[in-house]
Amino acid sequence: MNRFRHLFYTYDSQLRLFLLPFLLGSIILIVLPALITVGVAFTRYNAIQPPVWNGLENFRTLLESPLAWLSLRISLQFIFLAVPLRLLGALLLALLLQARGRWFGSLRAAAYLPTIIPEGSFALIWLWILNPLYGPLNAVLGALGLPTPDWLLDPVTARLSFVLMTLFTIGEGMVVLLIGLKTIPRIYHEVARVDGATAWQIFWRITLPLLTPWLLVLTFRDIVVSLQNTFTPSFVMTYGGPYYATTYVPLLLYELAFDLFDFGAAAAMMVVLYVLTAALVIGIINLVDLNRYDEIA
Amino acid sequence: MTKSLKPRRAPSAGRVTRWLLALAVAVLFALPLYWMIIVSLRPLGLPPPRSVEWWPDQASWQNYRELFSMVPMGRYLRNSLLVVAVSVPMTLLTASLAGFGLAQLRNPWRKRLVMLTVFLLMVPPSAVWLFRYQMLSWTGLLTTLWSLILPAFAGGAPLLVLLFYWTFRRTPPEMYEAAKLEGASAWTAYRHLAMPMARPTVAAVLVLAFGLFWNDFTNPVLYLYRPQTYTLPVGVQILKQLDATNWPLLMAGAVFMTLPVVLLFLGLQPLFLSDKSIQSLLEKD
Repeated sequence: MNRFRHLFYTYDSQLRLFLLPFLLGSIILIVLPALITVGVAFTRYNAIQPPVWNGLENFRTLLESPLAWLSLRISLQFIFLAVPLRLLGALLLALLLQARGRWFGSLRAAAYLPTIIPEGSFALIWLWILNPLYGPLNAVLGALGLPTPDWLLDPVTARLSFVLMTLFTIGEGMVVLLIGLKTIPRIYHEVARVDGATAWQIFWRITLPLLTPWLLVLTFRDIVVSLQNTFTPSFVMTYGGPYYATTYVPLLLYELAFDLFDFGAAAAMMVVLYVLTAALVIGIINLVDLNRYDEIA
Repeated sequence: MTKSLKPRRAPSAGRVTRWLLALAVAVLFALPLYWMIIVSLRPLGLPPPRSVEWWPDQASWQNYRELFSMVPMGRYLRNSLLVVAVSVPMTLLTASLAGFGLAQLRNPWRKRLVMLTVFLLMVPPSAVWLFRYQMLSWTGLLTTLWSLILPAFAGGAPLLVLLFYWTFRRTPPEMYEAAKLEGASAWTAYRHLAMPMARPTVAAVLVLAFGLFWNDFTNPVLYLYRPQTYTLPVGVQILKQLDATNWPLLMAGAVFMTLPVVLLFLGLQPLFLSDKSIQSLLEKD
């Protein structure tokens, strides 16, 4: 027994023990499942009989499936529309609400509210807001003499509704950028102002460049998270409709795996999504210089 | 004291505009919750409104009582409470311990593990659906509440670990060195030095972890099949399946599920959203 005493009694070994639940748990619950999914993509597997190797068969089936193509197309469309708008929204919120003052804490809390509302409730209230006949959104639009679309009943406006909804859940991004803004030493702004820089110049030349690492991390995370977050609304509000217009990849995965029990096809779809996401992230990394990454790690 | 010494300036036009703009944005973001509450108070059977309704004609609590007679809301509530009662304290413990461990690790391992954690942040939850379902069914945990609680033993979510890591990186390392030299255990340093200084982060993680487990819609849909184990989000979804156009009742269910997490957030947010606390996150630099 004495040989193992040092495992628990030195400071550094205790530190390693502290890390153990997180590391071990993450490997079992996240890393392994994600990797095994890649393997399953090359098998025929229905979750009951053992998987059978079938090479690229699943990918071939997906290639021939119009629904898979549609789902990928609308998912990418969603990412390209929602992610930049969400980032811009979070940045504007952070810039507007960063001011010090008695009320600004409460205003920040109000802006964070939609982010903390349970997804299920959030989807239901938007089902009401977007109701073409009784919903408050069309009531407001109608009172202003603006067009009142059918929102979730029409494929194009249904997809726009999904983007609109996600623009309200940007609290996390706002908080991250608030912290990012506070890391910029005030003296930079003061010096620039003394030198006669306008507020606009200060923003473009000082604030934005120094926020870039924070914005990058948010972008990467949002590419993954915002698409994932379409699952609950597409499940609760439209169940993928009308005419599959909101069958984003997470919902398609769910149907393939848990309705049809075709785990192989679902895994193949997942792999396609991994590759596309990785390509997006690498593309963005190539666009910007990453030397300022040190802040985060 | 110092405040009274400063002469009070009349607020400039720019500051007033900014304040009004901020207020308008805050109101806009509070609207979904407000409408949820308004509709939930409408008496059943009233014709739907023809214009924007800011307050129902005859507000009543009737819908909230109706909830419990339509579906076993009490059982769903109990299940949800069980899940958060186990998983929130467990998450707080495992995430803070991991963050503390990470912060004190030496390079190159610190950098490697932080990168791994950032990478974990980017793994889409749907990537683990398939195999986690399999694992749960092999271990017999499928359809039990444990299938929802399990991540709590691994820090809840990578983001929560990173929040603690960033916080503990900002406390001066000399403090821990001194404690170490005096023969304190890592547990003592964690318990008596690190955690008392991390109160804003503890409050933030408490809210985020509560939201993570209480709001969870996807995992119950994937892993719970027996009505005895359904949690509130599934219960509200059942309510919708029973009567999709009974808006006041649906909204009552939505509000019932939303209020606990919103109240917790509103209660704790001054600890991490106020001017002082955002500043104090960065004190060291």
